[in-house]
Amino acid sequence: MNQQYIWRSLFPLTICFAFVGVIQATEPLQYNRDVLPILAENCFACHGADSAARKADLRLDQRDVAIGTGAIVAGQPDDSEIINRVLTDDVELVMPPAELKKTLTADEKEILKRWISEGARYERHWSLIAPSQPKLPKVRKKNWAKNSIDRFVLARLQQAGLSPAAEAIPAKLFRRVHLDITGLPPAAEDVAAFVSAYRGNKENKDNVLSDWIDKLMQTSAWGEHRARYWLDAARYGDTHGLHFDNYREMWPYRDWVIRSFNANQPYNQFTVEQIAGDLLPKPSTDQLIATGFQRCNITTNEGGTIDEENLANYAADRVQTIGWVYFGLTTNCAQCHDHKFDAITTKDYYSLAAFFRNTTQGPKDGNVKDGRGPVIKVPLEEDRTRIAALPAEITAATKSLEARKIAAQAGFNKWLDVTEKETVRLELPTKELIVNLPLNEGSGNTVTNQIADAKPVKVTGNVTWVANGRTAAPVIKTGNTFDLGGLGDFEKDQSFSYGAWVRVATAKASAGIIARMDEQAAFRGWDLFVGGGEFAVHLIQEWPGNAIKVSTSGAALKAGTWQHVFVTYDGSVSPDGIKIFVDGEQRKLTVNSNTIKPDATIRTKTPLRIGQRRQTAVLEGGSIQDVRVYDRLLSVTEVRTIAEATLLQGIFATAQADRTKEQNQTLLNHYLNQHDPEYVKLQQVVLDLEQEQTAIDARSPVTHVQVEKQDSDAMAYILMRGEYDKKGEQVSAATPASLHPFADDLPNNRLGLAQWIVDPANPLTLRVTVNRFWQEIFGRGIVTTPEDFGVMGADPSHPELLDWLALEFRDSGWDVRKLFKLMLTSATYRQGATITQQKLEVDRDNALLSRGPRFRMDAEMVRDYALAVSGLLSRKMYGPGTKPYQPSGIWEVVGLAGGDTRNYVQDKGKNLYRRTVYHFWKRMAAPPNMVAFNAPSREYCAVSRERTNTPLQALITLNDPQFVEAARKLAELALIETDGSDQAMIDFIITRALSRSLKDREFEIVQSSKQHLLEYYQAHADDAKLLLAVGESKVDDSMDDITLATWTMVCNQILNLDEVLNK
Amino acid sequence: MNIIEEYKTLQTRRQFFSQGKNLLGTAALGSLLGSGTSTSAGEGVVKTHFPATAKRVIYLHMVGGPAQMDLFDHKPKMKEFYDKELPDSVRKGQRLTTMTSGQKRFPIAPSKFKFGPAGECGMMMNTELLPNLAKKADDICWMRTLHTEAINHEPAIAAMQTGNQVPGRPCLGSWASYGLGSENENLPAFVVLVAVPSNRDQEQAISSRLWGSGYLPGEHAGVSFRSAGDPILYINNPAGVPAAVRKRTINNINALNEINFKAVGDPETQTRIRQYEMAFKMQASVPELTDLNTESDHTFKLYGEEAKKLGTFANTVLMARRLAERGVRFIQIYHNNWDHHGNVAGRMPSQCKDVDQPCAALIDDLKQRGMFEDTLIIWGGEFGRTIYSQGNLSMTNYGRDHHPRCFSMWMAGGGAKGGTIYGETDDFSYNIVNEPVHIRDFHATVMQLLGYDHEQLSYKYQGLNQRLTGVLPAQVIKELVL
Repeated sequence: MNQQYIWRSLFPLTICFAFVGVIQATEPLQYNRDVLPILAENCFACHGADSAARKADLRLDQRDVAIGTGAIVAGQPDDSEIINRVLTDDVELVMPPAELKKTLTADEKEILKRWISEGARYERHWSLIAPSQPKLPKVRKKNWAKNSIDRFVLARLQQAGLSPAAEAIPAKLFRRVHLDITGLPPAAEDVAAFVSAYRGNKENKDNVLSDWIDKLMQTSAWGEHRARYWLDAARYGDTHGLHFDNYREMWPYRDWVIRSFNANQPYNQFTVEQIAGDLLPKPSTDQLIATGFQRCNITTNEGGTIDEENLANYAADRVQTIGWVYFGLTTNCAQCHDHKFDAITTKDYYSLAAFFRNTTQGPKDGNVKDGRGPVIKVPLEEDRTRIAALPAEITAATKSLEARKIAAQAGFNKWLDVTEKETVRLELPTKELIVNLPLNEGSGNTVTNQIADAKPVKVTGNVTWVANGRTAAPVIKTGNTFDLGGLGDFEKDQSFSYGAWVRVATAKASAGIIARMDEQAAFRGWDLFVGGGEFAVHLIQEWPGNAIKVSTSGAALKAGTWQHVFVTYDGSVSPDGIKIFVDGEQRKLTVNSNTIKPDATIRTKTPLRIGQRRQTAVLEGGSIQDVRVYDRLLSVTEVRTIAEATLLQGIFATAQADRTKEQNQTLLNHYLNQHDPEYVKLQQVVLDLEQEQTAIDARSPVTHVQVEKQDSDAMAYILMRGEYDKKGEQVSAATPASLHPFADDLPNNRLGLAQWIVDPANPLTLRVTVNRFWQEIFGRGIVTTPEDFGVMGADPSHPELLDWLALEFRDSGWDVRKLFKLMLTSATYRQGATITQQKLEVDRDNALLSRGPRFRMDAEMVRDYALAVSGLLSRKMYGPGTKPYQPSGIWEVVGLAGGDTRNYVQDKGKNLYRRTVYHFWKRMAAPPNMVAFNAPSREYCAVSRERTNTPLQALITLNDPQFVEAARKLAELALIETDGSDQAMIDFIITRALSRSLKDREFEIVQSSKQHLLEYYQAHADDAKLLLAVGESKVDDSMDDITLATWTMVCNQILNLDEVLNK
Repeated sequence: MNIIEEYKTLQTRRQFFSQGKNLLGTAALGSLLGSGTSTSAGEGVVKTHFPATAKRVIYLHMVGGPAQMDLFDHKPKMKEFYDKELPDSVRKGQRLTTMTSGQKRFPIAPSKFKFGPAGECGMMMNTELLPNLAKKADDICWMRTLHTEAINHEPAIAAMQTGNQVPGRPCLGSWASYGLGSENENLPAFVVLVAVPSNRDQEQAISSRLWGSGYLPGEHAGVSFRSAGDPILYINNPAGVPAAVRKRTINNINALNEINFKAVGDPETQTRIRQYEMAFKMQASVPELTDLNTESDHTFKLYGEEAKKLGTFANTVLMARRLAERGVRFIQIYHNNWDHHGNVAGRMPSQCKDVDQPCAALIDDLKQRGMFEDTLIIWGGEFGRTIYSQGNLSMTNYGRDHHPRCFSMWMAGGGAKGGTIYGETDDFSYNIVNEPVHIRDFHATVMQLLGYDHEQLSYKYQGLNQRLTGVLPAQVIKELVL
């Protein structure tokens, strides 16, 4: 059983051990182990699954075809063409052909012959065979094992003639566990507590470790740390990724991933929600956010790109991501041709793509943060309780308000009786009123501006008066308007307010109502305008290059109806400073133009006119009354009063019996608003609640989600050679034919795909997943090509262990914490990391797990470690991406003019010290201090990271202000917490940084280094000051510069130790 | 017997490292930045397949796509076609970008610039805007029939740099670094410089992914040298830490790491020790590298006074020469704003002024230093432009849209055959008539000059032997090679 797989990935090793290097002549060959590697490497490129590349119609990856064509005659190697062609000396005939520059060894030729003579039996590829419960191997030293993992590992070690390493010393073990669970170094007190408890018998040790693991897994850091790996796979970033690479708002998805791990959401649910949360019955907000996984792909808005091509690219990215994350198959190869090695055809590929093409997402992202949808708004954590409660509260408050309306009826009747008999008292605002033109004279050619000492109003033509539901009003016609002379000569930074009752004859009207505007001087001036079915306000020096225009949105104009229109302007020279009220209600405005320049003027010599601009834009056939202009900003209440009071005047002038229903309603509303304090109180409650709702809505971020088109089935075209414009056969959504069947009862959409992926019968998902988790802890997967479990991927180093873990994970209910705990409590994991010469030769890469994991931490951990050790780390979670220190010019070099991520504006305060998982990730220029440590750009899916070791990394941890500042803070902390003696200082620093104390020789080096530094800074006090100025956090004034600078550099050294940078 | 004790007494650090390296046994470790320990200068880390004529490359990428018919692809007949419709027989229904696909007309815009024969080879080129370059015509290998599939900038630059329109593949510079390794312990093998054009009207996005290493190990990614701030990120010590203090700091770090290594035995610790040493060497060598005060007046006469101004094209080209002198294998310069959708008349002169003198100077300068023969210079954009005008057309001004079906590039030095004029396009500079050069062929040819068979220099990734030229056919164009 153990020898089912060949250990190709361990090549230098395999030659050392007879059990794999040479196949025993007595033992039958196994296809997957012995034959497939030879065929795959040498034959399949031309005689495999790819129909386009296939030569001579021969495929050797399928037994019946190979036999049917005579290439293989089972049991008869000498009659098999394949053998003849491999053995021949004829350059014309020999296989593989000379131009491929591949040759078979004598051993390989012998294996092919033997395999055919033994019957040429084929096997399915190992990863496509469902995992079966492996038998625990027999081992010597059984008591070493803590759980089943160790049995598998030990069996392999013993085969290789190796023994496991001794257990790591408790402090190192604890540091490792802490880093693996939280991504952060342990506090010195916790190390001490663990070390003192982790003693005695085996059982006690196991319990202590188990308790600590449980405790650490309950911290929020657990989710942050696990999420980081997932966000690489999900290719999460904060920008669109192409061309302008502008801001894309979807950090709620990042936060959802963190929360999900912290809630220990079962991994199958985690998966289904991300692939198809939107298709679940009544999806929750969180399930919708989860679908952001589908929306993390890079998108473009580049002018000239072709929509169809963009959409094809987006779908291709999703197929690749799903392929790498769940199938462990390089499906993307089949975009242009049938996969050469794995059983994935081009048709399979586009059938998969079909699942993702039925989306409402558009081809271009608009360079805007919501990417032009689909998105949802996600209230902030602190707003969630309120936003959930508000609808019910608003309903209840509105109910009370309605009830009050009924209860107030008696009071209203009483008020009406009294009021009918009195003159309505109209307390209209008069302060700074400069025009008060009722236009209700009803006859004649004289109208009056009822302001004291007002000049006579110039009337052009003969006024026609007509009553249309109000007292008779003038009808505006060309040659029949009013001229108020020099009034209203406002500048753009003056506040003023104006309006009137208006009855516009036709919805097509395009006219000035109140205007002081000179259309012959590029429309200089201001006005209240009607056009396009909306009311508008202009403030203009020169149209359109130097002007403001706002207009109501939503068909505010009701032609043939009296409407009260009023404008207030606060003099702020901004469209936001203008409000337009229609019938007392403030209307939503559209900003049509905002080009006004700081030095602009809107003053003009043309007079203030009613019903037209200087010469044109006459309100033909319309009527105007009660024109008011104030030389100040009116409040909302004042505007309402004007609208209402003038309305009431009209109503009271009508006999009770003749009043319309609306008029009666207006009277009631007036009573309630003005004379019923209880109603006003209740109304305020409703308003406050609504305002709260609006405010929450306004500050809620959006996040990108996946939304299925409702009116179509998932389908796609096969694109020839992957080119978007070479459409071939149309295919509907389907999973690859060669994988496990898609159950009949699954819906044929993403939800079906998701359920198929987490179907326990799926041989891939479980293996691929546990392999990735294993990789997080042990530094390399059991399969070292985590994205490729196909024929050309690496074979598992411990195939049975992989299967055992997969089944264990499944049977636990896809419990991520449980799986990790299993790994972390194993004896395999607890081994010390020390390498012996023998192990270096036999197991250099620790593929056999002959020692504990030790490797350089990922970029984010390196930074978080320094922040945590120095006490700088902020534990604030979630929210928009942070922008910590970054060298200047990183964004600018790649940024386009007008792009919103061209200029990097560094954060201040706490955001400089948050965990790196919250970094703002600009994909076209990812943080350089992260990239140097192999962080991916997040432009596409990454399921593993490289671990290079370059001088550029040294330059970062030595010189990056982030790390220099951390060194200073660590030094400050040590000076605060200790008596300042060398012994105490060094102990403090080392305990925090390394979770241990120094050996004598090490201590000597550090102490002598400190002495040299002290001498240097004593002689160069200015340099001490300069060094301490690095970083934005305050320097503790009570400390001596020279001492602090000295210890800062000591800490800088310590934080650069290999032992610090390694797990 | 304690095996570690025994081992410790036997091994010195250097021996240990070289053994570790042999165990890995591939280019991956050996070509770590600066590790020239096992390779003599000029010898590849991956053994070359034939003798290399180019030991280093200076690649001048003109971002946006220069108009070939305004520079190198002379089309005198077009004068008669002024404002006439591009014949359907020429266009053949070819794909257009959505920027001009909506245009009602495709009127021919003949070049408004003066062309003349240059050098003994008689290259007909724009002598009005490129007078200095014209004088070098016989040193230059002219290619007029490059072609690509990509029609928009992002995918086209990716294709030109990596052989594939989809982002994420290693670029030419990374392949060179992977193959050739470094000649200098103190500097990276692959350096990128982004020049600031004097006109910044319509720049295109340049992403650091363009110098990414793709699936090749990360150390083969280009290291971006910056014109402002630290030339290499984080190269400068913090304020108040002079080199002497830093040297001592690094010695102490390494001494402590040595102790740790003895206890744990992890070979990576040894690598780290070496990298800290190298980091210090880089810190020491970069100030000298970037200090242009050591250049003579003659140099600035050659490259022009602009070369003194940080970040100009002339300045980056001079830096490229200094980097090449110090053993950097591949220097990539990006010069932006060649995307002339409109106002060719207004924008082409300043673009040409930026590059004309420095390019000619680079040829002379390398010659006088005896480096021309083994330094390959490449000049070109990601695609060409259309003969028909985008937007308004007049006798004196016009715009041009993207055109992938033919465009011009040139090479010089490093075994490229000077005085060659290769390839012919039709009268409209629209289709190739003779001797096409697909960008894959171009890549294969560059690889050949570097000593590699493009089908053999590969890297195993996702089960395939991945290579720059991919799976489609590509051939070395022998006529371009000395």
